Amino acid sequence: MALVEIRDVFKSYWLHGKRIDVLSGVSLDIERGELVSLVGASGAGKSTFLHVLGTLDAPVAGSLHFDGTSVFELSDAGLARFRNRTIGFVFQSHFLLPEFTALENVAMPALVQRVDRAAALAQARALLERVGLGARLDHRPGELSGGEAQRVALARALVLQPALLLADEPTGNLDPATGEGIHQLLREVNRDLGITMVVVTHNEVLARSMPRQLRLQAGKVLRA
Amino acid sequence: MNSDTATLALSEVERPRWALRAAAVLLLSVGAGLLLLAVRQAGAGDGLFSALALLAPGWGGLVQAGLGLLRAAHRAPPVALALPWRWILAGAVGWCLGWALLAFSIPKAQAKDEAPSAAADSPLYPPLAAWRDFSPATFAAYAVAILGGEVVLVLLQTFLASGARGLGMAAPSAFVLSLLAAVLVAFAAGAFGAARARRLAAPEATIAVLYLGTPLPVLLTLLPNFPRAALWVGYRFREITYVAELIGRPEIAYWLTFTLLVVALALGILSGFVAGGSGTLDLSTGFELFVAARHVQVFRPRLLFGGLLVLLLGVVPPLLVLAVLRAADAAVERTRIRALGLKDPMLAAAAQRAWAEKAQTATAMMTALSVGGVGVGVMALIIVLSVMSGFEADLQTKILGTNAHVVVLKYTDNGAMPEYAEVVKKVEGLRGVIGVTPFIFGQVMIASEGNVDGTIIKGIDPASVGSVTDLPKNVLPGGNIDWLTQPNSIPVHRPARPRAATDADDEVVHHTPGGTEPVLPGILLGRELAASLRVLVGDRVTAVSPLGGGMGPTGPVPRSRAFRVAGIFYTGMYEYDSKFAYISLGEAQSFLDVKGATGVELKVADVDDARRISGAALQALDGYPYRTKDWGEMNRNLFSALRLEKLMMGIILTIIVIVAAGLIVATVTMLVLEKRKEISVLKALGVPDSGVVKIFLAEGLQIGLAGGLLGLLSGLAWCLFIEKVGLRMDPQVYYIHSLPVKVEPLQTALAVVIAVLVSYLASVFPALRAAQVEPVEGLKAE
Repeated sequence: MALVEIRDVFKSYWLHGKRIDVLSGVSLDIERGELVSLVGASGAGKSTFLHVLGTLDAPVAGSLHFDGTSVFELSDAGLARFRNRTIGFVFQSHFLLPEFTALENVAMPALVQRVDRAAALAQARALLERVGLGARLDHRPGELSGGEAQRVALARALVLQPALLLADEPTGNLDPATGEGIHQLLREVNRDLGITMVVVTHNEVLARSMPRQLRLQAGKVLRA
Repeated sequence: MNSDTATLALSEVERPRWALRAAAVLLLSVGAGLLLLAVRQAGAGDGLFSALALLAPGWGGLVQAGLGLLRAAHRAPPVALALPWRWILAGAVGWCLGWALLAFSIPKAQAKDEAPSAAADSPLYPPLAAWRDFSPATFAAYAVAILGGEVVLVLLQTFLASGARGLGMAAPSAFVLSLLAAVLVAFAAGAFGAARARRLAAPEATIAVLYLGTPLPVLLTLLPNFPRAALWVGYRFREITYVAELIGRPEIAYWLTFTLLVVALALGILSGFVAGGSGTLDLSTGFELFVAARHVQVFRPRLLFGGLLVLLLGVVPPLLVLAVLRAADAAVERTRIRALGLKDPMLAAAAQRAWAEKAQTATAMMTALSVGGVGVGVMALIIVLSVMSGFEADLQTKILGTNAHVVVLKYTDNGAMPEYAEVVKKVEGLRGVIGVTPFIFGQVMIASEGNVDGTIIKGIDPASVGSVTDLPKNVLPGGNIDWLTQPNSIPVHRPARPRAATDADDEVVHHTPGGTEPVLPGILLGRELAASLRVLVGDRVTAVSPLGGGMGPTGPVPRSRAFRVAGIFYTGMYEYDSKFAYISLGEAQSFLDVKGATGVELKVADVDDARRISGAALQALDGYPYRTKDWGEMNRNLFSALRLEKLMMGIILTIIVIVAAGLIVATVTMLVLEKRKEISVLKALGVPDSGVVKIFLAEGLQIGLAGGLLGLLSGLAWCLFIEKVGLRMDPQVYYIHSLPVKVEPLQTALAVVIAVLVSYLASVFPALRAAQVEPVEGLKAE
């Protein structure tokens, strides 16, 4: 059984009464431990697909089975718990909480899960040291560079050891060298921790370096 | 699929619907007009329209309107009820038809003739498929909350306060206990219902409150208007109506209590939703408080200290000081930056940047302002209520210092109680009684050489009166209450002008430098009475009793007797100081022609227990022909007026707190708008909706707590100031020297609790809006 089974997922937007079909019947299996890249033209619906996959956005129709559970049938609270325990997000912008230090930001998912404060902070410290930011623990997001902030965001996504990591153009705002660093880190995480990963990217070169490559086109997912 | 045909089809559907709606509105207005006409014809027009005018500020007007209609209907002779039934029927039909048409005009789902989309046979998104609008179980829980709360209140109050079949507690404390129980029931059942439904379930709550909650207060309000119904069911509610009447306007008490229960239900629903919204009962708030505290940061010493200064010293002086300090700060900093820049421009730029970053955001300003607003409201509540309590306590001391707590009287034709000594013995031993004294009551005219005044004269036993009233303590220096029974000792300072000795009984005489003066029985006069009679201690006054001289040829003959002023007393109550005179019991017996005494006065250890002791005394005396009255009964109008006034003042001042709550709504809404992105991120990290609600509720609550704390401190400081330093008042006008203050802990705590509660409720709406922020919305790439 695949880790993620997506069947017939439809998603449309309405703009001035006109329907725009973004996903029209996406079906896809993702195996445990896979590192998948997803490319597509701007506006093809890559982000929407990722949001639906991460249960941040509700589809019109379709089903999503994660490890055998039908995720869409969970209540709002159940979805929140599902996101907290099984999914890690990395976005194009780092989306760190500005009032909190890097350490607190990384610990946040654990705090949401009511992990003891000291234990959560210890775990966060270990992760930040692993991504090479041991010296930046008490800095606020405003005091970090773009690459550093994105590393903190990656550490935050990993703090609860999620089964699935969803990355939405994690290097989109970074220069090529820094971006390559982040990609290197993602591959390491996939290799060392065995975390399944879907990475949306514009960068065809980077995409081609991934073991499995997908392309979103006309509302369907195709093999690239 | 073509968009042009789609819009065309839509407008074709729209047009007849608008025609229907217009017709419905027309019918509704005609119906309403006919009903109004019917009301006018019934003769209730004026009452109704004035009540409708009152409707604007609140629902109380609706009750008034109903009462007006009822009164109009009852004024007509009961045989032919002059209600214009035809008009009422026509109006009602129009009204109902109008609503029916409106309901009909609501568009139903239209099956459009479109080609099926590609998604046609896929399963619908499950939450959408499982959507439910009404849950009977939740409705039942809310019904238990509001109706159960009311029933618990009524039954428990009756049980606790009823003397015959219950515990016979004092009515107010029984009410507080049963209200607490009822509020708990409403809160718990509301919380259970919302936690079970995992949503707020507003339709269920509305129906429960309107259809199950209002009948009881409506019934209680209308009861006095139906004498027969009042006879039938009224006595079952006697403990309830008694408590309600303590504040003078029972219907206000009913509706306030009802409102309290509804608020408890609303709080319960909210708490149930927040605590149980994550599927399991989740009461921990550690993470939410952690986030909320970073967002608002109200518990900064600088903010709190500044707020306190503003509340204590007024707005202008602290702001002036602040402005001066800021200006000085800025001047020093600019000089420093310029000096730095001369060495290294980069250092200056960095310093300038740091300086600019210190500027506050708009939200931080709003937060500080709302803390101040809540603080002002709480402070005003505490000061005004404390001063009013001070007045009440002052009045109570003065009234209870002059009057007994309980009076025993007897039903006889001349009101006399010859066996008063036995009565004294019987009531002396009762639990809670600490003083007993007999008295005689009469009305006379008192004349001096300068003036005449009508007074109430009381015959007292100088030996025991001190155990019941403060009279001995109130006698001003120069007089002595014991001289009532020892007239020889009364000093005569100035001789009367030579006059004919009219009183043949005056055998004993005082020898004064100016001549001789007869020895006369003593009398105590109030300060104002003595002033208006222009007499001092030792002067002579004549009392004239209109009845007491027996029958003469032309009817009752007045009896007059001369007294010598043995002392002047000052109670602090103008009414008493200008209208009371005291003589000894023996003198009163002979002068007013009363055998024994008029009655017996008691003093009790706990004045709030007087009602019970009054009943116990009556039981000890085997009831009729004796009767007893407690001080509350004797001064009921005065004290219920005071209580009503205090309640109204509390309500009016709570409006200040509500205005502050408006500030909180604005502040938390701004916070929510400012934090949209963060809310999205938190949701992506797995914070459930209830967690987001908790965060913003905690922010409102922190503002309320900080404001309440500021208000409490500054209010207490002001009360202390008024008490210790005092605000002088002109005793010629107010009859008191300074503003009395009495800080009642319960009432002060209540003011703070109300403020915190209102802040909490004020943040409910923005917090719920925050929970509705779609995660995707804030996560769009910048």
